[in-house]
Amino acid sequence: MSQDLAEVYRTTYRALVRFLYRKVWDAERAEDLAQEAFARAVVHKPDNARGWLFIVAANMARDDARRAARERRHLTLLTAEPQASEPAADDALHVENERTRVRAALEQLTPRDREVLLLWDSGVSYEAIAAQTGLARGAIGTTLARARRRLVEAYEAGQRGEHVARG
Amino acid sequence: MSHVDDGMLHAYLDGELSPAEVQGVDAHLAQCSDCGRRLAEERALIARAAELLALAAPPDRELPPFRAGDVKPPTRLWWQVRLPLAWAATIALALGIGTYLGRDTEPPRRAETTTDAAAAKPRTPAEPVRGLTRRAARTPPAAQPAPPPRARADNLPRPRPEPLVSQADTAAAYAYAERVADSVAGITRRKASQDEHGRWQKGDAISIDSARRVLGADPLVVPGVPIEAFYRGRSIGYSGVVIVEQALDSTTMIEVINARSAPAVLDEVVVTGAQPVRSRPAEAAPPAAPRPAPSPGAGLFREVRGPLSSDSLAALRRLLRPLRP
Ligand SMILES: [Zn+2]
Repeated sequence: MSQDLAEVYRTTYRALVRFLYRKVWDAERAEDLAQEAFARAVVHKPDNARGWLFIVAANMARDDARRAARERRHLTLLTAEPQASEPAADDALHVENERTRVRAALEQLTPRDREVLLLWDSGVSYEAIAAQTGLARGAIGTTLARARRRLVEAYEAGQRGEHVARG
Repeated sequence: MSHVDDGMLHAYLDGELSPAEVQGVDAHLAQCSDCGRRLAEERALIARAAELLALAAPPDRELPPFRAGDVKPPTRLWWQVRLPLAWAATIALALGIGTYLGRDTEPPRRAETTTDAAAAKPRTPAEPVRGLTRRAARTPPAAQPAPPPRARADNLPRPRPEPLVSQADTAAAYAYAERVADSVAGITRRKASQDEHGRWQKGDAISIDSARRVLGADPLVVPGVPIEAFYRGRSIGYSGVVIVEQALDSTTMIEVINARSAPAVLDEVVVTGAQPVRSRPAEAAPPAAPRPAPSPGAGLFREVRGPLSSDSLAALRRLLRPLRP
């Protein structure tokens, strides 16, 4: 039992951070949430710790997003102008731009398609994805096929849009 | 026979079909060029999607210790930290020792001395906590003076006075932490090789034809060495993984990992510690070298693992050639 959780921590922590990151878009925040999920797992001792962790993480990220939205509203009231960002190196800027484009493309997906895609990309099996989302196992492949196609299409449409805007 | 639908193709390429389903798909693909073409398209789509997702991945840091939730300023956390530091430090100790190989990014967050757990003991409820008591009794004398040694502990936050959980929960947590601590030595010993091993999950055995379809290329193998089997693999950031087992001799099995990679993750460097060579190939030491760049021709990430020295594994990796039909 105890060794199981240590093992789950070792094999699942990065995957959980990866999953959470695509929801909160802040690496430190994602790590905090992952740590918190494991802290809860220690207390709750779920049978299927790995599956349990992803469910708890999804809930935590949703709560976190709501809270962040509230804070942003307050912040908007307090600060008249957005602060000028530091001039970033070209590479960092490029990476950041790419991330922003992928994030925008992900947001074009339906919540269910996005969830399935993010779970798969974090190393979760079809069976566990089905258990978590309530979809039939046989529907996961179809959902992933659609999610992947839409992600790529949305990303490329976004790029075309930018080129049009620039030109 | 009806064509293979998109969902089936994706499940096939994801290695998520049962062996019987794989046989059915293989049989159809062998005689339907339309589906063969679609398979190639879907494989490219899967790789492209994985590549885009890799662009939006968090930095791949080494596994941190399982740190205490309240080591950080509480303002960063909206949830209430419900567990006393003494418990959390014990868990950090149990799960953290030896699992923290990497960059020392957050030293103040680390709680890694047994004395931290012990120091918090007087602050826990008056009821004796059996788990901790037993633990402390086993701790070497040098590590349990009443005032904690300052050498490494200067930056560590002191325990908070008030435990926020019931005594029963605390005792249970201590007992649990102790059970975790019992396995620390083993975890530490196996950590590095398993950590690398854990990157490549090994799935069902597949046919050579399936392996080619998954990779969209001939799998790389060590020429002249008997091939035992092909397996589907899985690894975060790679869209198609095939593991080839080859028998160097009657007792030495190596595994050649072939992976279609998402380009963004290729710059990562895997740092592994020295480990003893183990008898089972699945747990053998990986090479300690940086992760190799893909060869431009094949476009496949390749790696060889097995119960050999990292030099030997690197030499075998240089020998890899595509397995022609
Ligand atoms: Zn067909």
